[in-house]
Amino acid sequence: MRPLPRFRVHRPESLEKALELLATLEKAKPIAGGTDLIPLMREVEVDVKHLIDLSHIGELNFIREEEGYIRIGATTTLSDLVASELIASKAPALWEAAASMGSPQIRNRGTIGGNLCNASPAADLGPPLLALEAEAEIRSLDERRWIPIGEVFAGPKVNSLAEDELLTEVRFKTPPQGAGSAFEKIGRRRAVTLALVNAAAYIEVEDETCRVARLALGAVADRPLRMGEAEERLMGKELSEELIEEVSALCGRLVRPIDDVRASAWYRREMSRVLSRRALLKAWRRCAT
Amino acid sequence: MEAEEILEELAERGEFIVIGRGVRRFDALDKALGRAKFTADYVERDALVVKVVRSSLPHALIKGINIDEALKIPGVVAVLTAGDIPGENQIGYALPDQPFLNDVKVHYVGDPIALVCAENEEAAFKGVEAVEIDYEELQAVYTIDEALSEDAPRIHGGEDNIAVTTRVRKGDIEEGFSKAEAIVEDTYETPYQEHMYIEPEAAYAIPEGHDKVTVIGTMQSPFLVREKVAGILGWNLNQVRVIQALTGGAFGGKDDMGPLVCAKAALAAVKLGRPAALILDRDESAAYSVKRYPARIRYRSGADAEGRMTAAEVDITVDCGAYANRAPFWLWRMTAHAAGPYEVEAVHVDGRAVYTNKVFGGSFRGFGDVAMHFAVESQMDMLAEKLGLDPLEFRLRNVLRPGSRTTTNQLLDHSVGIEECLRGVAEASDWWNRRGEVKRIEGKLRGLGVACAHHGISTSRGAPDWSAASLILNEDGTFTYRTGICELGQGSQFGHAKIVAEILGAPLESIRVEGPDTDSTPNARPTHGSRGLMLGGSAAADAALRLRGRMVKVASEMLGCDEGDVELKDGRAYDRRRPENSVSFRELAREMYIRGVSPAAYGFYAPPRRYFDPETGLGVAYPVYTFAATVAEVEVNPETGEVKVVEVWPSMDVGRAIDPLLIEGQIHGAIAQGLGFALTENLIVEEGRVLNPNFKDYVIPSSMDMPRVSDVIIVEKPYRHSAFGAKGVGEPAIISIVSAIANAVYHATGIRFRTLPITAERLYRALRGEKP
Ligand SMILES: Cc1cc2nc3c(=O)[nH]c(=O)nc-3n(C[C@H](O)[C@H](O)[C@H](O)COP(=O)(O)OP(=O)(O)OC[C@H]3O[C@@H](n4cnc5c(N)ncnc54)[C@H](O)[C@@H]3O)c2cc1C
Repeated sequence: MRPLPRFRVHRPESLEKALELLATLEKAKPIAGGTDLIPLMREVEVDVKHLIDLSHIGELNFIREEEGYIRIGATTTLSDLVASELIASKAPALWEAAASMGSPQIRNRGTIGGNLCNASPAADLGPPLLALEAEAEIRSLDERRWIPIGEVFAGPKVNSLAEDELLTEVRFKTPPQGAGSAFEKIGRRRAVTLALVNAAAYIEVEDETCRVARLALGAVADRPLRMGEAEERLMGKELSEELIEEVSALCGRLVRPIDDVRASAWYRREMSRVLSRRALLKAWRRCAT
Repeated sequence: MEAEEILEELAERGEFIVIGRGVRRFDALDKALGRAKFTADYVERDALVVKVVRSSLPHALIKGINIDEALKIPGVVAVLTAGDIPGENQIGYALPDQPFLNDVKVHYVGDPIALVCAENEEAAFKGVEAVEIDYEELQAVYTIDEALSEDAPRIHGGEDNIAVTTRVRKGDIEEGFSKAEAIVEDTYETPYQEHMYIEPEAAYAIPEGHDKVTVIGTMQSPFLVREKVAGILGWNLNQVRVIQALTGGAFGGKDDMGPLVCAKAALAAVKLGRPAALILDRDESAAYSVKRYPARIRYRSGADAEGRMTAAEVDITVDCGAYANRAPFWLWRMTAHAAGPYEVEAVHVDGRAVYTNKVFGGSFRGFGDVAMHFAVESQMDMLAEKLGLDPLEFRLRNVLRPGSRTTTNQLLDHSVGIEECLRGVAEASDWWNRRGEVKRIEGKLRGLGVACAHHGISTSRGAPDWSAASLILNEDGTFTYRTGICELGQGSQFGHAKIVAEILGAPLESIRVEGPDTDSTPNARPTHGSRGLMLGGSAAADAALRLRGRMVKVASEMLGCDEGDVELKDGRAYDRRRPENSVSFRELAREMYIRGVSPAAYGFYAPPRRYFDPETGLGVAYPVYTFAATVAEVEVNPETGEVKVVEVWPSMDVGRAIDPLLIEGQIHGAIAQGLGFALTENLIVEEGRVLNPNFKDYVIPSSMDMPRVSDVIIVEKPYRHSAFGAKGVGEPAIISIVSAIANAVYHATGIRFRTLPITAERLYRALRGEKP
């Protein structure tokens, strides 16, 4: 491992100030919990002179329901998500994902913004937020835009933000009464484990018919993936275990995993099928309860 | 009274004061509060940072080492190479095959070549990157088969790549197999295991004047460290002071790494005249420190129609990696335990340890017996199945009993409790009712497996072993106890204090333990081989008994009674017949000082002499054995291949439980470590490079992976020649759990794994018909 590079830490207390620092300082990088960035800096050379610590910006830390949306500030920690009644009841897929991450120490520091901006293909919040069709608010000093969550991911550990931009908020439409969602993950131990595969499903059923089906898988491509083709096969149909089984088998073929020290591509395909089925079944069972 | 008689009398009282009870350890509070000091906590800010320049190739000649660019980096103070070593450039443990700094040839990726000494981490890191090594690459050897092939390059010259061989010839093997009704033959392979102690290797060296150095480090064997440091410096032993700081986990690895790391810091400190610290990063520790030796075992064994073992023929190959290090000892241990804790008439064993161009193996809890018992316990299950016997019943018919003879024909006349262990776990796990059927619970497969273990305590093959300790009665009636046995988390020193307290009738709080400092503590020899309590504690008992004799004598004079009537209890000496007549230890101590009766005692202990013939491999291999039996229940998820260990029922014949809580601690820890070895820990080495030297991808279990652990069944078959009959506990604890899990997986799935770990992916593939 390498020693940490020399950098200055800045602790702005407003978003405005943070954006200003990012825009003006050379080689500046945001840091939230640091649980991805610090280990990364000890592993590879990171060319950084200034770290902008986002954790003292009160306006970035919130979870609330407003105008039909559930809104989550970027520096909301994983522990905050796990402690949220709102998330647990309305978006169990997101809650389960956050609860599955790291250890209590990591969840106390790690943030939703950091997990997304780190852009790991295995990021556990990727699939549930894709399945919830979440959007991210991206801001710079003079611009503010909303992008679909999938567009934050630009490749393995590369996000799509410009150097002077911050991810400030994540939002998704409050799932209607009767919608169900679920998250599944397989790792190599029962805690503090990276996903070999993770999956999240979101389902709305009306009059026995599947109105909305969304399924996303992680750690099976260079970024988390929506399983569009699988979703189409579910929508408008009456759900059954057989149909879900069939669609899950399709997911095993849609993914594009790699071989690495953690697992073979073949095993990841197999697990994609297994986790798709589990997530879909669980989300379906949660509908209307 | 003779010392032994006193001990016997104390042991026979039936009721102890502190022994046998779980008591809160002295160090519990400081460790829980983060106040305990470990090596890195001693390092001063202005100390030099030492970093190791390592070989990037697995096998190469060194044509040149250019340090010029490195020296230009601001903050780099010096780059030390082999030429800077004042003593001998050799640090091999068992064989002189290991240069301390390599300047001729490198033997594995990570082999040390030079030491960069700098003012700070950053400069040291840049310095390491700037040292240029000119290599001439040689063909490398990676596997046992490659190492043994005719045309393999000879890693250390010589005629072949074999570092050492062993053999046992006991009984008539042909006759043994001819009596067998069932014969089973198979090959087992066990991989590297990395210790992953939470505290990586660290040493801090401080020059003292011009001809002395103090080294503070994380280690298991301070006197070995002293010897190796002195050897590198070309100094006398008494010019080197070694202090063992509290050690954050060791598991054997720091027995080997302690000298290597301490000698590097010491060389830098002495050469440059400044305090110097070497602290390995996690990735260095995981990639380049010693590992559990990989091994391959071919095993053929047979049993007769009555279910009695008749013969075992065992062929062992240990993969040393680049240097032999402890391989001769490792291999002998495997060899001497090859038949398992069973009585087998005819046993032939052949063993060899071979060099390869990979990170070298070394000490690790269980020391060869984990691999050996994995083979033995798999064979036992397979033989039982072939004979149509329950595997636990089959073991009961064959276990060693008082009067049995071991693999090496050693007669065990007492302290053999494996049968009781086995019966204990059978009852606790409700084995006879529950083993019958494989249960399915919500699509998951449940299985129950059993395994036994034995582990010789102290050194192999009758090599002399001994231990020492010292005890001082201070003027205020308190005691200072000094031992060279290290605190590694296991609590042996606390066990010693309890032994002293028991013998002297002293309150535990009145005894202060001073840990290893080679300038003041007697040489207790290493804290390894599960000997810390049995040998170290027996030396403590010897010191306490000597002091007790003097205390009783002076007390009898003060109390005006016979020595035989003096009782020591609760920090006072009483006249047994008139208990109101007593003196406190403070008063007694004063009186001893005034009368000129020595208040200090040196304790020494050696187990009885042993005879062992290395030619036949027969004789007394170890003073005594600890025995263990374990039942494990697993749940296999056929959908993913994941194995969940649901519950474990452990038992152990510990001789005497000095502290049941310490025993439980060892057993719980060993279950976690064994579970990792059995299921998830998988060091990936490609072309000599470790690809996963981190907690992210070298997967040790988390607390969430721990099974329910049933109450430890403690069997007490005291050893006649140790304090209160205690035997070692630390290593035996890991041996049976690994095989119990593998056997349970077989019971659940019908798939027998002959290699480890049983990862989810491997099991998933096997469930779909791939050969495991
Ligand atoms: C032991 C351990 C276990 C872990 N387990 C898991 C796990 O189970 N699942 C999982 O998915 N991850 C896991 N992680 C990874 C990590 O904890 C999570 O990804 C966490 O959510 C990262 O958040 P952070 O606030 O710490 O990110 P940081 O490290 O602070 O930042 C990560 C990256 O995002 C950038 N960044 C942060 N916030 C913003 C922002 N608002 N706008 C723009 N850029 C930003 C930073 O510049 C940096 O490049 C684990 C890490 C460790 C060390």
